[in-house]
Amino acid sequence: MISLLPVALALLVSGCGGHEETPIIRVSPSVPVAVESIVPVRTNGEPGTRELLLVPATSVFRNGELAGVLVVGADHQISQRWIRTGVVLQGDIVVLGGLDKGELVVGKYNPSLGEGLTVIKSPNVTEEVQNK
Amino acid sequence: MNEGIAGKLAKQFINSKITPLLMVASLLVGIMATFMTPREEEPQIVVPMVDLYIPYPGAAPVEVEARVARPIERTLTEIPGVDYVYSTSMPDFALVTVRYKVGEDAERSMVKLWSTLMKNMDKMPPGVQFPLMKKVSIDDVPVLNLTFWSKTKNPYELRQSAAAVAEELKKINNIGDVEIKGGLKRQIKIELNKAKLQQFNVSPMQIARQIQQGNSQMTSGDFKQMNQEIVVRSGKFLESAEEVANIVVGIYGASPVYLRDVATIVDGPEEVNNYNFFGWAAAAPKGSVAGEYPAVTLTVAKRKGGDASVLADKVMSRVDGLRKTAIPSGITVTETRNYGATASEKVFTLLEHLLMAVVAVTIVVGFFLGWRGSLVVLASVPITFALTLLIYYLLDYSLNRVTLFALIFVTGIVVDDSIIIAENIHRHFAMKRQPKLQAAITAINEVGNPTILATFTVIAAVLPMVFVSGLMGPYMSPMPIGASLAMIFSLLVALIATPWLSFRLLKTEEGHQEEYDITKTGYYKLFNNILSPFIESPVKRWIAFGVVGLMLAGAIALVPLKAVQMKMLPFDNKNEFQVIIDMPDGTSLEQTARVAKEAAAYLKTVPEVESYQYYVGTNAPINFNGLVRHYYLRQKANMADIQVNLVHKGERKAQSHDIAKRVRGDVQKIALRYNGNAKIVEIPPGPPVLSTLVAEIYGPSQEQQIALAKQVKKVFEETPGVVDVDFLVEEDQKVYNLVVNKERAAFRGVSAEQIAQTLRMSLAGMDVGVLHTDKQLDPVAIQVRLPQSGRTSLRDLSGIFVQSQGMGTLTTRLRAGQMIPLSELVKVEEKIQEKSIYHKDLRRVVYVTADVAGATESPVYAMLDMDKKIQKLKVPGGYSVNPLYTANPTSEDKLSMKWDGEWQITFEVFRDLGTAFAVVLVIIYLLIIGWFQSFKTPLIMMIAIPLSLVGIIPGHWLHGAFFTATSMIGMIALAGIMVRNSVLLIDFIQIRRAEGVDLKRAVIESAAVRTRPIILTSGAVVIGSVVMLFDPIFQGLAISLIWGGVLSTILTLVVVPLVYYMAERKSDKPSIPKNS
Repeated sequence: MISLLPVALALLVSGCGGHEETPIIRVSPSVPVAVESIVPVRTNGEPGTRELLLVPATSVFRNGELAGVLVVGADHQISQRWIRTGVVLQGDIVVLGGLDKGELVVGKYNPSLGEGLTVIKSPNVTEEVQNK
Repeated sequence: MNEGIAGKLAKQFINSKITPLLMVASLLVGIMATFMTPREEEPQIVVPMVDLYIPYPGAAPVEVEARVARPIERTLTEIPGVDYVYSTSMPDFALVTVRYKVGEDAERSMVKLWSTLMKNMDKMPPGVQFPLMKKVSIDDVPVLNLTFWSKTKNPYELRQSAAAVAEELKKINNIGDVEIKGGLKRQIKIELNKAKLQQFNVSPMQIARQIQQGNSQMTSGDFKQMNQEIVVRSGKFLESAEEVANIVVGIYGASPVYLRDVATIVDGPEEVNNYNFFGWAAAAPKGSVAGEYPAVTLTVAKRKGGDASVLADKVMSRVDGLRKTAIPSGITVTETRNYGATASEKVFTLLEHLLMAVVAVTIVVGFFLGWRGSLVVLASVPITFALTLLIYYLLDYSLNRVTLFALIFVTGIVVDDSIIIAENIHRHFAMKRQPKLQAAITAINEVGNPTILATFTVIAAVLPMVFVSGLMGPYMSPMPIGASLAMIFSLLVALIATPWLSFRLLKTEEGHQEEYDITKTGYYKLFNNILSPFIESPVKRWIAFGVVGLMLAGAIALVPLKAVQMKMLPFDNKNEFQVIIDMPDGTSLEQTARVAKEAAAYLKTVPEVESYQYYVGTNAPINFNGLVRHYYLRQKANMADIQVNLVHKGERKAQSHDIAKRVRGDVQKIALRYNGNAKIVEIPPGPPVLSTLVAEIYGPSQEQQIALAKQVKKVFEETPGVVDVDFLVEEDQKVYNLVVNKERAAFRGVSAEQIAQTLRMSLAGMDVGVLHTDKQLDPVAIQVRLPQSGRTSLRDLSGIFVQSQGMGTLTTRLRAGQMIPLSELVKVEEKIQEKSIYHKDLRRVVYVTADVAGATESPVYAMLDMDKKIQKLKVPGGYSVNPLYTANPTSEDKLSMKWDGEWQITFEVFRDLGTAFAVVLVIIYLLIIGWFQSFKTPLIMMIAIPLSLVGIIPGHWLHGAFFTATSMIGMIALAGIMVRNSVLLIDFIQIRRAEGVDLKRAVIESAAVRTRPIILTSGAVVIGSVVMLFDPIFQGLAISLIWGGVLSTILTLVVVPLVYYMAERKSDKPSIPKNS
C-alpha cells in the first residue's frame, strides 16, 4: 500500500512541472531518482465523441521521426514508450497512439533518465492542482 | 567349390598393382568432392508456390470471393501438377496461393500458371486489376541478417546507411535478394493545409495532377544542321523539395498559388510505419551495452545452388571493408542470423560424428580381429564414403543434414561387408588348411555370394523410402539414395580392396600346428549348451517360442499404453525462435509496439537469450517456416514479430524447445493483458505446416463455420498440452463507411471516384511521383497527404473540399472548379468490417490452429483426446461433427471438420513408409527365394524382422523418446540387416549339410561359426549409432538400431536356427521322434 502512495499522490496533484532547467541527474539504478513531476495521461473534453489523450509537450522526446515519453510503471520504474503525436494544444500534445488514459509519464523529459530506473516525485517542487 | 563373382573379382585384384591406386584415387576425389559440394543446413526442397494478389478495389469479401477468388481457383485447379489452391478474399482484394507438387519445375509451373491466368482474365468482372504474381521459393529465405543499430542515429539515418551497404553487397557474385527491414525511407511529404486549400480554392486532386504533370522530361527529337545532330529535350524532372514547393498549383485572383502556399513540404523521413528495435539480453557477450536501440535489418538471400557459408563469409568481409565509409561510426552492425555458419557447423558436426562412428566401429572390430583386422576395416570406410560423396557432388546434392545423416546411418552397415570378408579370411588363415593365397580366395568364395545377397537385402530395405511423397519427400529421399550408393560401394570395396588389404595385413599365426576343430571353440560349446536342450525337447522349444512371443506382444503393447508415443519429428536444438504477436485488428502501431517491447523486456531476462529484435509493422526476416506460413505478409499495425537469438547451443544446457516451452506462458500473459495473442514459433525439424494442429472447419455458411470454430477453439483451449490456440477469424473492427449521396454529388458535378480519390489521398496519402535524384539509392517518393494531426477523426474530414467538374458533366449548373465540401456529399455509416473468407481447394474453410507442448508433445494424442469432445458439440441441425482424418468432407451442406497440419504430413509419411516396408518385405522374400530356391526358407529368415520390435519399442520407452519417422527408418533398415544375419546363418547350415554333416550339428556349428561375424556386424551398427543418440532428430533412429539390433541379434542367433531345425527336421532324419 505504501508503494502506491506516490502514485496516488501524483494522480491527485498532477500537472505540468516547474519550468526551470532540469539539472543532469546522476543515475544509479538502486537509488530512486527524484524527478520534478510525474503526470498522468489526461483526457480533455467529455468522454465519448471528442475525447483526446494529452501529455505535456515537455514530456515528449524525439529521435528522428520517432516520438516517445518516459512512462512510470506501477513499480516506479521508467520505461520508454513510443507514441504517435497529434496537434499541440496549449502546452499539451495530443497522443494518438501508444498510451492509455491514466498512465503516468515523466512530466519533463530528461535524457539522463534511462530505462529501468526507479523514480519518485521530488517533494520540494510545488505542483498546481490540475483543473479538469 | 565353384568360384562365384566374388571369388573371381578377388582373384583379379588381390595381387594387382591397380588396387592400391584405385584406393588412393577414390580417397582423393572424395576429399575434393567434400570441399566442392555446397553446404547448407536444410535439404534442397523445390515446392513451387505462387502468390497471386488480385486487387478488386471497393469490393466486399463476399463479392471478391464470388467474382474473383472462386473463378480463378477453378481454373487453377485444372493445371497439372497443382497440389493445393488456397485463397483469402479480403475487402478490396484476393490473395490466391497455388502450391505445386513437391519437385515440380518452378519455371514451367510459372509459365503454366501465367497462361492459364491469361486465358481467363476476360472472365474477370470490370474493376478487377491486373494480378501481381509472386513466386515464393526457399531461396527467398535470407541466409544472413545484419542488424544495423545505433545509440545516436535514428531509423532514417540507419536505413540510409543500410541502403548504401546493400548497394555495395549486390556487387558480390552469387548473391541473391538483398532487402532492408525497418527504418524510415526518405520522402517528400506534402502536408496539405486544409484552411489554405479552401482559401486559395485548390483541391488535393488538382495538386496531385500538377505535380505529376510538372515532373516530366523527355527527349523530343533532334535538329539536323551543319552536318550535326542536336538532341532536343524538354521538361525537367523534380530534383529537390524546393522545386516541388515551387510548383504552381492554381491561380488565386491574378497571382499564382504555389504548392508551398497551401501545404508544408518536408524533405525527410517518411511517417513512422514500423518500429524495429534491437537489444542485447541476459546472455549477451561481455561489454555489450544495455538497453534497446533503433535498428534496421539487412537481409541477404543466396542464389539457387549457392553455398551459404561461402556467401556469408564474402558478405561479412565486404561489410568489414565498408566500415567508416558507408557505415558511419556510431552504427553497430551485428550479425543476427548466419545460416552459412550454422550450416557449416552442422556439416562439420555431422562429419565429426561420422568420424567418431568409424573410430568406434574400428575399435570393436579390433577386439575380435586384432589391430590388423581393424585396420583393414578402417581403410574400407573412407573409400566407401569418398565415392558416395563424389556421387553426391555429381548428382548436384548439397551437403546438408539429410545427406550427411544418410552417411552416418550407413556407417555401421557399410563396414559389414568388409568385416564379413576380413573375418572369414582371418578364420581361414587361422585354420591353416591351405596356403595363404588359396585360403584367402576360399574364404572369399565361401562368404562372397551371401554377402552380395545380404547387401542387396539391405539396399532393398532402404531404397523403397525414395517413394515417400509430399513435403517430407525431399527430407527423406537423399537418405535411401545415399545409403544404397554407399552399400554398393562398400560391396565393391569389400570384394576388391579388402582382400588386397587382408592378404597383406592379416598374419597367419605361427606356432600351434594342431588341426582346427570347431567343436573345441568357445562359441561351439556355448551354442551347444544353449541350443541342444531346445533341439532335443519340443516342450522346452515351445516354451522358448512362447517367451519370445510374449516379449513381442509386451513390446507392442507399450504403444497403445502410450508408454511410447508417436511423433513425426522431435524438435531440433536451434539457436533461435520467434515470438509472433497478434493484437486485435484495429490496434494502433504504437500499442502493438508497446506489447512487443514488454514481451521483449521479459525475454531479455531469460538467461539463455543473447539478443532480441522486435519488428512491429514490418515482418521479421523469414525462415522456411515463415515462408510456408506467409509470415512475410505480417506487415499490419496489429502484428509484431520478436526474433529471439539464443546463445550457441554448446554454451547452454537447455534445449531450445525447452526454453520455448518455459517462456511461452509468461509471454502469453503479457500479450493477453492487452487482449493480444502471442505464439512461440520454433523452427520445425521437418517440413513446415500452417500450424502443428489445424482444424479445418467446413460448412454451409460462414456464420455457422465461425460458430463451430469458436466451440472447437474452446475445446482446444481446454485440452491440456494444447497451446498457442488461435483461429483465422478477424476480430470485429469498426469501419466508417462514407456513403456518397449520389443525387447531391451529381447536382454538384462531383463524381464518386473523385470523392474516393480525394479521401484516399487525404488519409492514406498518395504517391504522386518520385524525386529524380541520382544520389539516392532508395527511390524518394513524393507523397500528398493530410498531416498526421489533421486526420484523426471524422471531424477532420469536414474541411476537405472537392472541385465541381462544372457544366461539362451535364448534371450541374455550377461552374467548374467550385469548391464543394466533402461533408456535404457523404453520409457516415458505422459498420463492422466484413471478415475475410478463406478457401482451401475451392471449399470455404475456417481454420483453428494450435501447437502442442508440455502435457503432450505429439499432436495425434491431442487430436484423439479432442475428438470425443468435438463429437459432443451441439451444432444447428442436431447432428454430431465427426472430425475427419484423411479425406476431405464429401459435402458442404453439413458442418464438418478435418484435421490438418503436422498430422497430414505424419499420415503421409507413415503411410508411405508403411507401404515401403511392405514392399521391402516382398522384395527381400523374392531375393532370398532366388538365392535359396525355396519358398519356406525365406520365411524362416524373415522371422528375425518382427523380433527387432522387442528391442525397438522398449528401447524408446527406456530413453523416454518418441517413436518418430527416423525410428521407422531404423526399423526398416534393421529388417534388411536382420535378414542378412539369417542368410549368413542358414547359408552355412546348408553348406555343412551339403558336406554331409547331420542337421543338429550343422545348426549348432553354423550358430557357432557365424556368431562372430554377426555380432561384429551388428555391433558395428550398434556402436556406429551411439553417436546419433544425442542428436534430437536422429535419436529415434539410433534407438531403433541400437536396441533393435542388440535384441534381435541375440534372438536371431537362437530362434532362427531352432525354427530352421524344426522346419527341416522332417526332411532330414526319420529317426528323430515326432513332436508329441
